[in-house]
Amino acid sequence: MNEIKVGVFLSDCGKQLSKILNFEALTDYVKSVPGVTLIGRSNEFRRGKGLQTIVDAIKNGKVNRIVVAENLPKLSEVEIAQAVEDAGLNPYLVEVVDLKDHCAWPHRDTPSEATEKAKAMLLAAIERAKLLEPIEKLEFPALKSALVIGGGIAGIQAAIDLADLQFEVHVIEKEPFLGGLAARAGRFFPTDDCAICIQSPASDVKTITHTSRKCVYRSGFSKLPKLDVHTNSKVVEVEGVPGNYKAKIEKKPRYVDETKCVGCDLCTPVCPVEVPDHFNVGLKTRKAIYMNIPSVYPPVYVIDGEVCKFHDCAKCVEVCPTNAIDLNQKSEQKTLNVGAIIVATGFQEFDSNAIKEYHYEDPNVITNLEIARMIDGFGPTRGKIVRPSDLKPAKKIVFVQCVGSRDKRWNEYCSGICCMISLKHAALIKSVNPDADVTICYIDIRTTGREHEDYYEKAREMGIKFVKGRPTEISRDGETGRLIVDVEDALLKRILELEADLVVLAPAMVPAEGTKELAEILSIDLDKDGFFKEYNAKLRPTETKLRGVYLCGGATFPKDAPTVSLHAHSAAMKTAKFLSNGKVVKDQRTAVVNEEYCGDCEFCPVTCPYGAISLEETTDGHFVATVSDLLCEGCGICVGTCPLGAIELRHFKPDQMKAQMKGLMSINGTLKPLILALCCSECGGTTVDSSGMAMMKYPANVRAMKVPCTGILQVHHFFYAFKLGAQGIMVVGCKSDGCHYETGVQKAEKKVELAKILLKEYGIEPERLEMFNMVYIDGDKFAEAAQKMTDKLQRLGQLQLMGGR
Amino acid sequence: MDYEEEQKTTNLAFSDTITSRLGGETITSCYQCGTCASSCPVAKITDKFNPREIIKLSLLGEKEEVLSGDSIWLCCSCYNCQERCPQKVEIADVIYALRNIAFQKGYIPNLYSDFASSVANDGRIAKISKFMEQKRSTIGLPPLQPTGVDALRKILSATGFDKLPQKKEGM
Repeated sequence: MNEIKVGVFLSDCGKQLSKILNFEALTDYVKSVPGVTLIGRSNEFRRGKGLQTIVDAIKNGKVNRIVVAENLPKLSEVEIAQAVEDAGLNPYLVEVVDLKDHCAWPHRDTPSEATEKAKAMLLAAIERAKLLEPIEKLEFPALKSALVIGGGIAGIQAAIDLADLQFEVHVIEKEPFLGGLAARAGRFFPTDDCAICIQSPASDVKTITHTSRKCVYRSGFSKLPKLDVHTNSKVVEVEGVPGNYKAKIEKKPRYVDETKCVGCDLCTPVCPVEVPDHFNVGLKTRKAIYMNIPSVYPPVYVIDGEVCKFHDCAKCVEVCPTNAIDLNQKSEQKTLNVGAIIVATGFQEFDSNAIKEYHYEDPNVITNLEIARMIDGFGPTRGKIVRPSDLKPAKKIVFVQCVGSRDKRWNEYCSGICCMISLKHAALIKSVNPDADVTICYIDIRTTGREHEDYYEKAREMGIKFVKGRPTEISRDGETGRLIVDVEDALLKRILELEADLVVLAPAMVPAEGTKELAEILSIDLDKDGFFKEYNAKLRPTETKLRGVYLCGGATFPKDAPTVSLHAHSAAMKTAKFLSNGKVVKDQRTAVVNEEYCGDCEFCPVTCPYGAISLEETTDGHFVATVSDLLCEGCGICVGTCPLGAIELRHFKPDQMKAQMKGLMSINGTLKPLILALCCSECGGTTVDSSGMAMMKYPANVRAMKVPCTGILQVHHFFYAFKLGAQGIMVVGCKSDGCHYETGVQKAEKKVELAKILLKEYGIEPERLEMFNMVYIDGDKFAEAAQKMTDKLQRLGQLQLMGGR
Repeated sequence: MDYEEEQKTTNLAFSDTITSRLGGETITSCYQCGTCASSCPVAKITDKFNPREIIKLSLLGEKEEVLSGDSIWLCCSCYNCQERCPQKVEIADVIYALRNIAFQKGYIPNLYSDFASSVANDGRIAKISKFMEQKRSTIGLPPLQPTGVDALRKILSATGFDKLPQKKEGM
């Protein structure tokens, strides 16, 4: 093994640090540390001449481990690592310490104490650097193809984007026709154009300008060479890893050959079977062989296998001029190999039957989706607004908002789009039938989008009435047969009994059927409301915790069409970015299992937020954990969980961690009790940085040490720190619900709780160990907490470890 | 928070007084949809009682108006509102909490104070009236005898019932 030669490079940040820290003393000290072969000093080491010094030292073979004291550690780390790699040394053999923000600035009032702390920080970095090992770059193949689950407007939009970029795309739709909920919605706000209108693919040769948009069926998107549409299909199983998934698809028989059917409609008149039409929410009937509306895609008929009489009838087979009907079709399974998956499964209306007092079973009580079908000229009533009970014109119409939404008994959230949907429908009714008496009963009208308030204003202009109140009951008047809506107008403080021919409920929008099953198939999470959960609502709105699985449209929450469109483009972009190189490149900063110690427990596979750990059976019948380097994010939560210490991070090994702790605790230099602040490298550690950057003051006895995530910590780490001389420990992690690795900080909180119990057992004051949840902007709070902790420990006095230390 | 102590603080702290009481915990969830009012059989026949209004006034800290008025005593405890409230506000229970606060403050309707004194004095929940005695004798029942109230008074004293505030003038 090569001799370890550590080069220590001290930047005094343009002579600012040397005003506080005694650099001569630091240099002398570093010289005395075994293994240090070179000491450099400069104004700056992260670029220019300073950086060149490091590069030269590597090239000359003078050093093979680098410790740089430089400010802006995160930025410096990147710049220095790049240069070091170019110079031929593995970039993970570099350790950066921040003498400015973690030492000089916060302790500028006590320069000699700060200098002593700086010595400890440098020692810790040197000792850790000596134990660092090279980390290799890994490459994994990624197929340039994607699976889009859901053929509504979100899925279609994302698929067009990807196919335009030359990725192979498969769109899976469970219904026989594309379009999803949008196809049934008729018109969209705020453009009032058709739901079936989509953006034309850029590669459509007949597209004249980039603004071109067309109906789904004539858009030509299905003719994109790289795009394949699978209707009547669903995903039943997904295997594999990001970049390389095998998705098993089950396609129900259509009984009509898509390549032969010409859509002549000779088949439907002869079909003797008549059933309620699901597409039109039961407002009309359809035949066993049918097409939803004339403008659907694919423009071919389908036979409903559940009601068709097949060979007992076969009349359609007789009349079909192209022999397109095949009653013997069977369902088929196929496997698609794709690099990434986009989930675009959308949402659906909440079942209003749940709210008994609204009597949804009454034919004249309908939902927004049903009134949308009525308003649609292609719909069951050809655009006429009628009472379903007797098909007579509906004169008095009452809308009821928030049916099952903003309701703690069903769905606590506001679906966000129902106010606009009802306003749109009320206005459309009024525009064809100005005499209609339309009332909207609401709790709050929410028209928060661009041009949305215009709808509210237009509704008032049109004479649509508004009652601020949520109806308690809808009943039928025994004499007139009309519906009665019991509601209080809270503004008038008057109880009203509104008469109505037709009541339109605005139900909550809930996750589409099958959402839960799909989440299980893909191993991704749902949020508390049952929608797919994105990785971070602000930063990664279309990504999941799994690389390679993306979300868009209503699958994450109810959305209006413009937002769905935005979301779909974003998901397509993220997918393209992931697949574009045909490979996934990442560093092997991952966990690794020591098979000798690992045995027959399931802690780490269950704990890993990324599903990166699996159990493999050994030849002697035991089970050991195996980590997927592709899936592992290197957080170390598994390390914190393993009861046997059988798993470790390649970039954060136990001996490296201990060496660092030992260094930090080796020199006090103050008369105050030593405190070890164990911070995560995300929000927690950044809080300590920001505290220094903003020149907040706290005493020099507080020593921060960054770990990848506080989830890596185990109870023994705390005891080890106490043994080394720490009088108190602060654990600084992200906010409880804001851990960058999902659950790490929550695990740390639990371990701190547990350790406090143990400390008590051992006769040590549990308040010597405290958990803090902080983010960048809490820098002042960190400084305050550090000061308070110091005061508290001074009151408690010297720590008495068992065995009389 | 104790009622008297709360008196000295802000007006809005009234909702804290209510939420700290059994039954009153859920009042702050109310978003004024009026489902309770339209569910209420009392509100249907009189505009003197409106559960939504009572909650609104309470949340705004209008404690004198809520506690000294008749309104809170008009609830018939059918629990229709509570059953249908989309925010799971326990409206009928909130009204009980308000009645308890009003009672402690001495806003006690005659009916209730008569009831309380009848229990304390005679050990009966209803006063023995001349009318009642006459009716009894006409159907051959013996006159009502005084009940043994000693044990009862001990219980009342142990629970603090006998120290409840006396009714205020004009109630």
